[in-house]
Amino acid sequence: MNLLLRSSINYIFFSILSFLIGGIIFYNVIKTVFYRQIDETLKTEKLLIEEQIDFSDSLPDFRQVFNHMIEVTVFNTPNKRFEFIKDTMIYDKSRSTLVPVRQLICENTSIQDKGYIISISKPLAETKQMITKIIGALVLLFAFLTGLLIFVNYIISKSIWVPFNKTLENLRNFDISRDHPLALTETRIHEFRQLNKTLERMTKKMRRDYLNLKEFNENASHEIQTPLSIIKSKLELLIQGEALSEDQMGLINSVYEATTRMSRLNQGLLLISKIDNNQFHDTEQVDLQKIMEKTLEHFEEIIKLKKIRVIPHFTSPAFTQMNPVLSEILISNLVSNSIRHNIEDGEIRITMDSEGFEIANTGHTLTIPTEELFRRFRKSERTMDSVGLGLAIVNKINLLYQFDITYETKEGYHRIRLNVRPGNDAGNANPEEPS
Amino acid sequence: MKILLIEDEKELSSAIQLYLTRGNFLCETALTYNDALEKINLYKYDCVVVDITLPDGNGLNIIRELKEGHMDTGIIIISAKNSLDDKITGLDIGADDYITKPFHLSELNARIKSIIRRRNFGGTNEITLNEIRILPEEMLVFIHEKETILTKKEFDLLMFFLSNKNRVLTKESIAEHLWGEEIDMADSYDFIYTHIKNLRKKMIENGGRDYIQNIYGMGYKFLTT
Repeated sequence: MNLLLRSSINYIFFSILSFLIGGIIFYNVIKTVFYRQIDETLKTEKLLIEEQIDFSDSLPDFRQVFNHMIEVTVFNTPNKRFEFIKDTMIYDKSRSTLVPVRQLICENTSIQDKGYIISISKPLAETKQMITKIIGALVLLFAFLTGLLIFVNYIISKSIWVPFNKTLENLRNFDISRDHPLALTETRIHEFRQLNKTLERMTKKMRRDYLNLKEFNENASHEIQTPLSIIKSKLELLIQGEALSEDQMGLINSVYEATTRMSRLNQGLLLISKIDNNQFHDTEQVDLQKIMEKTLEHFEEIIKLKKIRVIPHFTSPAFTQMNPVLSEILISNLVSNSIRHNIEDGEIRITMDSEGFEIANTGHTLTIPTEELFRRFRKSERTMDSVGLGLAIVNKINLLYQFDITYETKEGYHRIRLNVRPGNDAGNANPEEPS
Repeated sequence: MKILLIEDEKELSSAIQLYLTRGNFLCETALTYNDALEKINLYKYDCVVVDITLPDGNGLNIIRELKEGHMDTGIIIISAKNSLDDKITGLDIGADDYITKPFHLSELNARIKSIIRRRNFGGTNEITLNEIRILPEEMLVFIHEKETILTKKEFDLLMFFLSNKNRVLTKESIAEHLWGEEIDMADSYDFIYTHIKNLRKKMIENGGRDYIQNIYGMGYKFLTT
């Protein structure tokens, strides 16, 4: 729901509400006014009739005079004094139907001590018609006014929110990894000017921090890789020595292996921070099936050596828009994971459809909770030789592209399903990455 | 063979120099950007190994300078920055190869040899070692003039050994040479063993000597003496 729709709906709601209340009050006021007038007429007529009864012997044909139903009955006995006005229905002979009337009934005793009853009925049809017409006109007026109000509100809001929408559009296109500062248009509205100013300041600071971080990462990698290079190369020279004993060689070997691990670790962390910094922003249409086939070819020898059967089942190719380097890392990490945690004579089933793919592999049961699977440095006890960053990197890539990844164990298979086109429930499957 | 190593890190530079010198290269070093520029303008090298992040200048400029003067000098970029941009720029302006820190000296050595071999258009492009004769372009191996059929991996392995004769090659360096860096599985070492076993078997079956030695679980050595 956008702002305009929201405010229009509010307008309509409150207009109708206020009209309903106003309408009821107005109706009652009109009705009261009309009734009061009718009652006045009835009372005046009654007074005239009473005068007639008091001061003359004959009663005229009131029906002729006042053009409505008047009945006067005179007795010889006095009558108690009593008068009231009410709404009622009487039978209209000319139309042979019941018609609504306002009726005054008055019982009294004349000066000559004669009791009389006067009943004056005034048809209400005309009055009711008039009230209906007035209300009808009012409804029309209201509808017109409301429509006009909404229209004017729409037009005004639209023009008022133009700078805001422009800012929003600008923000949407803002990419921290590119050197395009927010170019926000000038506006005369104070609040929007403040907003733009704040945003510009914020994005500038973000950009500065980002560059600092990037620089730090690059520096850190450079600074760490260089001593690592020195250690590695010196060790390589050291092992060329002729006079080394087996024990010494074993020691050097341990140091060498640790150094190799450390440099892999460094590269893995560097990759994660690069993905975090969105430094892989170039995307293209990637054919996941092709990459999957290439990856399997790459791991072919290891797969054969571990006597693992790979059963690919590609029903249709999956395409997605992403960075080609990351797509290779993503699939390579998942496949290598399914090989590393596999058992001898195991199996890897790979299915692919247009939505994504699933890698199911045999393997030992998980020694860590499922939800921690995608965290850094979480690894099962059996595979201490791995660095433990593979799935963390996969998770980073998935967060970047909002892919939906799920893991489950079923019938002895570890299944990792990756949907490149997230469905309705997408976004919940990824465990939060601790920072 | 004359090589110029442009690397600002003194310790690393001396280690590389030592390794290359032992492999019968004449290796000169330049520790700064200006020193490097001076040297490439004064002398002619078969191959220049350049670290592109130097404290006083960008190594990419050295490559541009080199390309103007000595077209036939091989160029290998060293960088700690594992960034794709630098790699593409470097290769675009004429570098032959790219190696990322930290690297194995044996790998650098093999790459230098490969570049020099590829650039040696005039001479015969074959490698002879005792009874072994190799045509690298055609990927053919002859032992006692009899063709020996090797798989692609076995051939790569043999070439890597020949580039680093009489040196201990660690399992890691062999694994990375054959499968690249993304293979980080302990299994790949079993794998090297299988390939080496097959290579040895084929060479011995064709009347070759048994050159390959296992060095205490650390790695292997191709012993020619």
